[in-house]
Order: sequence, then C-alpha cells, then structure tokens
Amino acid sequence: MMYYLKLGFILLIFCVVATGILAYLNTLTAPIIQDRKTKDEIDTREKLIPDAVFAADSTASGMQYFRARAKEDSTLVLGYTFICSQKGYSSEVKTMVGIDKDFKVLAIKVIDQAETPGLGANCEQESFSNQFKNLAEADLKVDKDGGQVVSLSGATITSRAIASSIQAGIAAIKASMGAEL
Amino acid sequence: MNFFKELTKGIIKENPIFVIVLGMCPTLAVTTSVKNAIGMGLAATFVLLCSNIIISLIKDITPSSIRIPIYIVVIAAFVSVVNMLMEAYVPALHKSLGLFIPLIVVNCIILGRAEAFASKNNVIMSAADGIGMGLGFTLSLMVVSTIRELLGAGTWLGIKILPATYDPMLVAILAPGAFLTLGFLMAILSMVKEKKQ
Repeated sequence: MMYYLKLGFILLIFCVVATGILAYLNTLTAPIIQDRKTKDEIDTREKLIPDAVFAADSTASGMQYFRARAKEDSTLVLGYTFICSQKGYSSEVKTMVGIDKDFKVLAIKVIDQAETPGLGANCEQESFSNQFKNLAEADLKVDKDGGQVVSLSGATITSRAIASSIQAGIAAIKASMGAEL
Repeated sequence: MNFFKELTKGIIKENPIFVIVLGMCPTLAVTTSVKNAIGMGLAATFVLLCSNIIISLIKDITPSSIRIPIYIVVIAAFVSVVNMLMEAYVPALHKSLGLFIPLIVVNCIILGRAEAFASKNNVIMSAADGIGMGLGFTLSLMVVSTIRELLGAGTWLGIKILPATYDPMLVAILAPGAFLTLGFLMAILSMVKEKKQ
C-alpha cells in the first residue's frame, strides 16, 4: 500500500514541477504572442485594403468587422474587412477577407489552418487566394458546385470551406447593411 | 571513440525509420514535401536531444515501475516549452515549424530512445544518441519526401525540377504514396543488407 502511495506521490511531484515551469513560461510568453497576433492582424488588414482608416463594428448577429474609409471623418466607405472561419478537412480554416463597397472580394488571406501538408495547406499560396479577387457573393463556390473558384487538387473540402465561409461572411454584412439602410 | 559510434549509429546501422521502424506516423504524414520533412526532422532532433539529456539526468530518481508516465510528462512539457518559446521569440521559424511541434509529443522515436538508451546511459552518450537518431530521422524523412515530391509535384524544395510536360503523379503525395514509397525503400535497404552478409 505504502509503495503505491509513494509512486503516486513521485509522479505528482514530477507533474507539479512540469506544470509550474509551463505556467511560468506561459505568463512570460502569452503577452508577447498576443501582441504579435494583434499586430499581424492589423498588418494583414492594411494589406487587404491599402491606404484606409479602419473602424470596428459588428453585425446584428455579433460578427465583428471593420469598415474602411479613406480618412477618419470621410463618409465614403471604401470597403469592409472581416475574419471568417469554417471547418475544413482537418482543422478550422480562418480567412481574413477584404471586400469593396459593392461587396465584391478585393483580396483574401488565409491566416490560420492546419490542413494536410502538400494538399489543403496549399490554400495559403497566392495562386489559390488570388482567384477570389472580384468575385461576388454568388460566385463564391468551388467549380464542382457551379462557382468560379478552382479547387486545390486533392483538397476540395478545404477549398469549399474557404469559399463558403467567405460567402456567409459577406451575406452577414450585407444583411446588416440592409437593416441599417 | 565510443561517443562517435553513438553519434553515427542512428544514420544507417540503427536508422530509426528504416531499421527500428519507429515514428511511422509523422513519417507518413509530413513527407509530402522536402521542406516539411526538414522542418519536422530538425524540430524532432531538438526535442530528442533535450529530452534525452533530461531523462538521463533524472534516471536515478525515477522509479522503474512508473518511468513511462514520467518520460511522457518530461517530453510533453518539453514540447510545450519549445512551442511557447518559439512562438514568442522566433515567430518566423514558428510559422514554418509550428504545425509539427505538437506532433512531436506522439513521435515514438523520442519515447523509444528515452526508454532504450537515455534511461541506461550517461548524459554525454545520451546527447550523442539524441543527435544521431535525430539526424537519421531527418535524413530518412528527406529521402522519402524527395521521392514523393518529385513524383507527386515535379519539384524539390519547391523548385521545379521535372519538365512541364511531366504530369504529376498525384497519388505520390497522397497517403497511399507514403506507404508505397516507404515499402519500396525498406525493401531496397534489406536487399542491400542481405547481399552484404
């Protein structure tokens, strides 16, 4: 009996030490990582719609988006950016999208994914993301579903997840604009 | 002399993939491109070196009946440490290797070497074993991925090698291609070995 208690106790000590080290390191690194993520997000947004001033807003359904204007006080809206995500083949695929005032895609960037390397992971490549340019809500489907997006070879599910998450995002912004007008 | 022997045995004589046949999961999964193979190999080598050193250091205070859970705690903690430090201080490297780091926890080469070597040998030998096995793992991944990337995409490290008229054999970068390539390589290796004897 004592023997087993002793074993459990030793294992406990190892776990406590390991947890302590991890917790300490996490308090050190978490703020740095968070800062960088926020900075990355701002950088990406500025790449999608260059030379614009962004203001945060959210739709009635609670989706966050940013309204892009040429100047702080300008009433002219250049477009919107938002982050959308949908489950792909093996992970949640997160995409940041920039659309113009007519709700056509300006540019997209896949910001987070863990899809199959060599297949779905190719969605980060520009040859894939560039074809989203100028697509309207109705065209945002993969070619197999009658849309204009040519799927990545061997990764229709990833391509479909990206296209349909963007489509849903645009629909949500459109709906909330419609309610405002 | 002995040190050198421990360092080099992982490359051919006790190659972790083709001879010991450990760590098949990452081998099959990440060898779709040479770039991924190098990333996974180097990340695993680093964790293997560190975990071998620590496990060799604590071998005298580890009760043998619960050594496996203790090794797993050490390895998992190490992988998380590497992951956090890399994400915070070398984000560029983390971006390309980030995907592979969590996979290292379940890489049985690391637990295998802890159990078979580091728990019985001193720190210096364990470090040599870690580096050697890691290099053997990296080289093997590179061999498998070179074949798969060349056949499946016509490229090597992303550079176009085969002429544009070559129609990529997509199956090579899909899961079946991994099994086929690995099988053929193992067959060739054991054929060479048999001829030598």
